Amino acid sequence: MDFTLPVLFIGGGTVAIAFYVAWSIGANDVANSMGTSVGSRALSLRKAVIIAGIFEFLGATLIGIHVTKTIQHGIVNPDTSTFLANPNIFVYGMLASLLAAAIWITITTFYSLPISTSQSIVGALIGFGIVATGASAINWGKIIQIGESWFLSPLIGAVLAFIIFYIIKKVIFDTDKPFESMKKSLPFFVFALISVILFSIFKSLEKTDFQIMSILTILQITFIIAFICAVISYFLICRYKISNHKTDAEIYNSIEHVFIYLQIITACFVAFAHGSNDVANAIGPLSAVINILQSGSIESVVGVPLWLIFLGGIGIVAGLATWGYKVIGTIGRKITEITPTRGFSAEFSTAVVVLMCSRFGLPVSTSQVLVGSVIGIGFAKGIVAVDLKIIKKIFVSWIITVPVSAATAAIIFIIISRLG
Amino acid sequence: MEKKEHFRAPVQDTFRRKSPFEQLLEHMCKVRECIDILGNGLNSYYKGDYKDFTNLTKKVSKIEHEADLIKSNLRNHMPSTLFMPVDKGKFLWALREQDAILDHAENLAVMLDMRHTKIPKEIQIDFIEHSKSVMKTVKAMEDAVYNIRDLVETSFVKREREQTKEYIYKVHEFEYEADLKKYKLTKKIYELENKLKPMDVYHLLKIADWVDDIADHAENVADWLRAMIAK
Repeated sequence: MDFTLPVLFIGGGTVAIAFYVAWSIGANDVANSMGTSVGSRALSLRKAVIIAGIFEFLGATLIGIHVTKTIQHGIVNPDTSTFLANPNIFVYGMLASLLAAAIWITITTFYSLPISTSQSIVGALIGFGIVATGASAINWGKIIQIGESWFLSPLIGAVLAFIIFYIIKKVIFDTDKPFESMKKSLPFFVFALISVILFSIFKSLEKTDFQIMSILTILQITFIIAFICAVISYFLICRYKISNHKTDAEIYNSIEHVFIYLQIITACFVAFAHGSNDVANAIGPLSAVINILQSGSIESVVGVPLWLIFLGGIGIVAGLATWGYKVIGTIGRKITEITPTRGFSAEFSTAVVVLMCSRFGLPVSTSQVLVGSVIGIGFAKGIVAVDLKIIKKIFVSWIITVPVSAATAAIIFIIISRLG
Repeated sequence: MEKKEHFRAPVQDTFRRKSPFEQLLEHMCKVRECIDILGNGLNSYYKGDYKDFTNLTKKVSKIEHEADLIKSNLRNHMPSTLFMPVDKGKFLWALREQDAILDHAENLAVMLDMRHTKIPKEIQIDFIEHSKSVMKTVKAMEDAVYNIRDLVETSFVKREREQTKEYIYKVHEFEYEADLKKYKLTKKIYELENKLKPMDVYHLLKIADWVDDIADHAENVADWLRAMIAK
């Protein structure tokens, strides 16, 4: 190895950057899972942070650890001739890209804007790729995918959230006895919700080494467990009675109260899924760096070391505990104030869209789907007031994410390589 | 523990808007407060008891001012980019008319306090009945506005829309009743014109008008509400 900077220094820097990246992702993305729950007051901010912390960490350490496919392979290939000849360029580049992405995520978090953190990382990697190997090394298909995501994610999210909320409205609120209707329809909602959650978890297992079950077995297990949950929910809801003399407002409150539980379950799942996918996405590129530092050569597939995932998990929890409230405020309060039925519709639609789109290979971002979902509910007259000015600001931040991250990464890379 | 959470998000909480509907309800509560005081005050005034009336005038003015603050806050935070499930223009007209109730209530109280006009025994009961009808109109309007909360919660389902409409029909009914009582009252005042001083006649006629204005504006609120929730 021919490092001009001491390897120890780079190693320490890598760990620090890994933590910083995880911190920034935690701060920005926690709103994906908890934003609407805090907005609907299903959870207090403090509880949301604790629950999100637990599930993000579980997701990262239980499933994220086994995710071997990481983000860097799709954009900048480490086994091109430039890098094979000179591995430290790759090391510097990865560090510069992640630092640049984390800086941009920190800035957007400061302004409470929910962006796609993985798009920021992709943008930064592109910037580094252009500087290091020229535009030819760039996977332009990936960039087109990101562009598609800006429109696809909110659109699909909005349509599905609209449909889900419309169903809730027609099946529950628009009946003569809303509370009784809610009791009857609750098991169906539980069944749908648990099915989506379990199926998603099995799907994420597919990315790991445990590809043990066929799709048919997965479906069977999913539906059986979901059915059991639905039956349990039926018995639980039967015990929940309200007197006949309540006013309409009180009846609606009781309905919302039941949906708090569904919303919290959904929120936990979204946090878990985020922990299992995005931690590895962010930490993955760094594992490549560490591998190079240890072995001195580039290997095309690298596993993510255990301690790095732990570090990532801790970083994410630190991020959501310190700055998580900022973007939560945007999703939960600034765009609009919502109730649990609306929050559930938004979260559930987000979970379904992310599941379906990853199945069909459509590029979507959870943050972007969620913002779309909230707007969709607005169109279903479910929300008292959506501030389109903030939506516009968010949209602009999505579009400038890639160029800004790319430019920052390029600048940091040039500085590091001059120093090095 | 609660304190810490507040500390965590101080900026958001300061700038956080309440929903426009919540604010409309808040404004309506001011109307309710004001009309309750005024209703009792009018009763005593008509019976010739002017003791606390100056005090009442001050109270009404104070409530009117508080409601003004709510109104301007609501208006100032209705940017053109705000996307609402109802027509924003109609919403603002409803608010404006609701505020007009308070303006007229204040005007009425101040004008009554400027000249304590003795109500002749013969028409005292008519005055009281008339003011009761007006108050009933406002009460029905309050119910209609209050039902917005249910409308919003259910995202405007038919059942709740019908319920709001029922309150609105009541507003029209009571307003019509108040109108008839006012005509009857006016007729009786003219019948007494030879017995009364001209200035008294003038003021009595004016009082009937001022009180009736309140019902008119309550009806306007109901009309805008009706337009607002129409599909």
